[in-house]
This record gives sequence, structure tokens and C-alpha cells, in this order.
Amino acid sequence: MVVLREGMCPGLDEALVRDLRAADIKTVEDVVSSDIEELAQRCSVSYKALFAIRRVLLAQHTAFPVSGADLYEELLSSTAILSTGNPSLDKLLDSGLYTGEITELSGGPGSGKSQVCFGVAVHISYQLKQSVIFLDTTGGLTASRLLQMLQAETSSTEEQASIGGGSVKAVIVDSVSAVISPLLGGKQNEGMSLMIQVAGVLKTLAKDFNVAALVTNHVTRSGSGEVQPGLGVSWSPIPRTRILLERVERAAPASHSSLRSATLIKSSRQGGTTRLLRIHSQIQLGETFWALLSSSGSASVCVAEAAS
Amino acid sequence: MQRPVSSLSLSPGVKMKLVNAGFQFTADLLHLKPLQLSKETSLTQQEALEVLQAVRREEGGGGGGGGGGGGAGAPPSLTALELLQKEEEMRSIVTFSSRLDAALGGGLPVGKTTEICGAPGVGKTQLCLQLAVDVQVPQCFGGLGGQAVYVDTEGSFLLQRVVDIAAAAVHHCSLLVEDDEQRVAMETFTVETILSNIFLVRCHDYVELLAEVHLLPDFLSEHPRVRLLAIDSVAFPFRLHFDDLSQRTRLLNGLAQRLIAMATGHGIAVAMTNQMTTRLSGGQSQLVPALGESWGHAPTIRLLLHWAGSRRMAAIFKSPDHRGATVQYQITSEGFRDVDQSEQPPSKRPRTQTVESSGSQRDASC
Repeated sequence: MVVLREGMCPGLDEALVRDLRAADIKTVEDVVSSDIEELAQRCSVSYKALFAIRRVLLAQHTAFPVSGADLYEELLSSTAILSTGNPSLDKLLDSGLYTGEITELSGGPGSGKSQVCFGVAVHISYQLKQSVIFLDTTGGLTASRLLQMLQAETSSTEEQASIGGGSVKAVIVDSVSAVISPLLGGKQNEGMSLMIQVAGVLKTLAKDFNVAALVTNHVTRSGSGEVQPGLGVSWSPIPRTRILLERVERAAPASHSSLRSATLIKSSRQGGTTRLLRIHSQIQLGETFWALLSSSGSASVCVAEAAS
Repeated sequence: MQRPVSSLSLSPGVKMKLVNAGFQFTADLLHLKPLQLSKETSLTQQEALEVLQAVRREEGGGGGGGGGGGGAGAPPSLTALELLQKEEEMRSIVTFSSRLDAALGGGLPVGKTTEICGAPGVGKTQLCLQLAVDVQVPQCFGGLGGQAVYVDTEGSFLLQRVVDIAAAAVHHCSLLVEDDEQRVAMETFTVETILSNIFLVRCHDYVELLAEVHLLPDFLSEHPRVRLLAIDSVAFPFRLHFDDLSQRTRLLNGLAQRLIAMATGHGIAVAMTNQMTTRLSGGQSQLVPALGESWGHAPTIRLLLHWAGSRRMAAIFKSPDHRGATVQYQITSEGFRDVDQSEQPPSKRPRTQTVESSGSQRDASC
């Protein structure tokens, strides 16, 4: 429902808007769906003027079809694949994070989601020399950890301080579930719509600005006790690719291994047959991971702290 | 990209009236006067005024003023370099156990939420009491010189114990006095002042706890010297008679977000204690922290206090900037301390722990 305002299109001045209002035509839909001849008589406005206005409004509000070939060309020229810095994770993701898409990392507490996000941010910022926008909702972002990752690779402070200066190529949200899950369920009926709105904004951002969106999610236990990503069934079609991170259980539960396993739960590209949806890949998230990811100009990573 | 009206923080009734009147985007609302708006949407004048204020704040706010929590509008963004500089200014609260401090990178970090979970009697309350005293250590001794807010839900805050810990801390600092500045600081660091700088709140159920957390930001604005919020314990009021588990999860998530906002917005350290529960999986039982899987994501740092035989161990279970590590500690009459290496070689000989005498209250059982 778009309300008619003066200046929306040439010929729609205040007097005309008032006349139309008097005839109970308030929105663009009303203009488009009513009979122009009858309207012209009722409002004592010229038929031609109304017809022209209607044509302009229709043109303003329609979506134009694009041919498949043009779309393909555009996709080929504009999509970039950003490497995460870790070869096995890249292989899991079909060579990296795709711009224009949302990739989701889910996992329990301490499973390494934030660490992977830091690593990706640092890698994109230094190795690929592009800017990253990092939205932190958990309070877990510490610049000293980013610096640590940076220092493990390059010890020259000049390199560290050099401004990347590239355009923003990635938006990382850690985590999207921390601010949305308090709104879902119960008697609140807005939570779902807010969640879908956030999803819509992220998708449009990714497509229009050609950035790769990486979000993290928490996990819940399903009825049968299996671990699954949070935010429910409504969120599941939003990210194009989903990865589940888990701690690798060792013999003594209190031991601190830095090993994590990443499982591809959903991907529109991997998996030849329709049955093959789970691809397991053990990746070493120990020192080697940090060493690979740690070269980055920390100055070009932008950070925003969001609290609900 | 235009911003839809439904993303503003207004009450749902107001939003519905706006949408019904045809206002989809905030751009539509920019040029209206309150009188016009209230006539078109049948809102009251007051509501129309609030809506327009919210819209103007969104447009004008952006990257400008207004720190983290509270208030609508986008929070300010920083580059990682600026964040690094800010972090270097923030210090940590020492726990008086040097090994735990080393594992945590200096102590309990300010500006983050930390959860301390453990079985009954392992020392969670003791650690909270110790932190409430430690946060007040003057800055010239390496402390923060701040005040503490202690929210007690279990009734385990015992004054006599705090007096003992405070006396030990004062004694410890007075032995370290080297120059005049520290001597002057010691005059204000006495047991009486320590006690007067702890604000104690007693909550009897979860409603009181939630209300208290809602009111805290105002309190913190009035008392800018507060550097620690200790909640002992978060689990207790939420595990009593709670039938609707999904509601509990929602409330806990909201609580966690508010605590994180307070920690970053007001620059305080938040410490919460949690209880343990048993999880049965495939015929085996395991002790895990209580309050469910989603609560595990709420605190930024998780400390697990557990028993290994007759020894008390503290494990860092989850931390974004430190590796997992396990250290041993003990509770003495002076409070939370390191295990003294000379007395206790790492052998299988059973140790006698000097547990505090005057009222170490066993935490309420799971």
C-alpha cells in the first residue's frame, strides 16, 4: 500500500492529491485499479492527465523481467569467491564464500564459530586487501585476538598497519541468533516478521552491494536429541550454505583440544545426488589454522557492536 | 534501500495503525507534522510525536552519538584499530589466584560477561565474594578501584565471610606498600570502605531478578564507579517451578543480551554463577552446566569449576581470546587462592583442603 503523495510523478500536485482523496483514492493501488474515465468525471480532472499519471505510477512500481542470458553474464562478471584462508574449509564451501549469498555457521558454545569469523575477517582484510564489516552481538570481539592472528603470520608492524583501502567485500554477523531468539515464540507475534526482515535486508545487501554475508547461529536439540541449527524452520531457507561446527570429543571431557569438525548441512552446489547432503570434513582448527589466517591489516576491519 | 516502518522500536499497536494508513517506509513519515500524522492514522497526538521523534532519530543518528545499549538508532562503528586502543585501556579484575589470572590474561575481563559454573560446594560463591573485594583494590596496586553490585538470589551472601576476605586483602596490600601514593591509597582501603562499596541486592524469584536487571542501567549511570556486577546465582530462580521451558529460554536470552549491553555500554565486568545438571546420553550421564543449550551462548567466557579427586580445578571452557586451560586453586580462610606448590606436590596423596570455617554455605542443590 503506497500512499499517494504530491511530487511522486510529474503532474501529481497537491491539488490533485486532495481531489483524489476526496474521491476516496488514497493509494497507488486505488489509482491503478479504478476506472480512469469515471474517476476523471468524479474529480473533474482531465482524462489525459490521469492516464499519464497512471502510466508513470505503473512504470515506477513494476519489476522488469531480465533475460536468463543477461542474468548469467551479470553473475559471472560480478560474483567473487572469497577464500576463508583455510584450505579444507574452502573445499567444504566449494572454494570459499560467494558474494551475493548468505553462508551460515552454526555450533554449540565453544565450538569455534567466532574464531572462524575472526579468521575470515583477518584473511579477507589482509590477504585479499578488502574491507570487512563485522557486526558483533555477543560482546566476544576482542581486537587483541585479531592482532594475535595477524602477528602469527607477519611480524612487521608496517604491514600490519597498512590500510587495506578496498571496498567492503564481506559482512560478518556474529551472531544473528543472539538478538533474534529472544523475540521468537510465546505471545510475541513480531519476532518472526522481524527475523524475516533481517533476512531480507541481508540478502538484498549481499546482492546489491556484491558482498558475501557470513552469519553465525546457535544450536538446539531436536526431539530425538540431535543437534540442529537454531532459529527454527523459518530461518533454514535463508542461508544458501550451512555448516555445523562441533567440538571433537576426546577421551577426557575436560581436556582442551583445539580440534573442531565442520559438517556441511546444506549446500546448493555440493552433493551430486539428492541424497548426499552431509559431507564430513575434519579440519584442524589448531595453531595451523591461526597461522594461515593471521596476516591482515587490522586497520581495514570495521567493527560495529549491536545490542538489541 | 528504504527502511520499513515495522523495524522502528515502537509498540505493535502503533505500528499496525501506521501500516494500515499506508505508511510503509520511514521516508514517508519524514515530512509530516504530528497533527497531520495523528489525523491520518488515528493515533493520539502523543503517539504521533513519539513516532516522528523515532524516525528523526534514525535519520539523524547513524554513526553519531549514543553508545551501545539503550535508545534506538544504529550504534557507532569503530575500526578494529580503535577497538584495540580502547581495549588496552580496560583492565581486568584480579582473582588473587595468579595462575587463574594468567590463564585469563590478567583476570576477569571488564566489558564482558563471564559465567562461573560448578557443582555445589566447589567455590563459586567464594569466587564471587573474592571478586567483589578485588574490584576495589586501588589502582596504584594494579586493581580497578571500583565499586561492586552483588545480586544475591540464593541467600548465600554472608557478611562475616566478606569481612574475612576483605581483611585478608587489606593485609595483603599493606604488605606491598612501597611509596607514598600507595600509602595514601591504603588509608582509604580498609574493611569498612570495602563493605560500603558493595551494593547488595537480594532477589527472591526470577521476576525480581529481571526487574533488577532492567533497573540497573539507571543505577549504573548514577554510580559510575561500579566495575563489577556479580549475580549469584542466575540458575537458582530460573530452575524453581518453571513449567514453560520455551518461555524460560526466551527470558534468559533477553537477560543475556541486556547484561552484554550493560557490560559494554557501562564498562563493567559481569560475573554470573550457574549450577550443574546431569545429562543422560546413550546410557551415560554427564555433568553439564544448567539452564540449557542456548544459555551456553549467552556468556562470553565460561569458567568451569570442578573437582578432580579431592582437588579443586578451574577450567576455561569457552573464551574468544584465550586458549582453554585448567588450573588448580584452593579456598582458604583468606579467600580464593592459588594452590601453594611447596606444600602440595602433584602426587596421589589425598590433600586436606583448608576450607573456610565460618559458614561456607553449600550452594542449593540441583
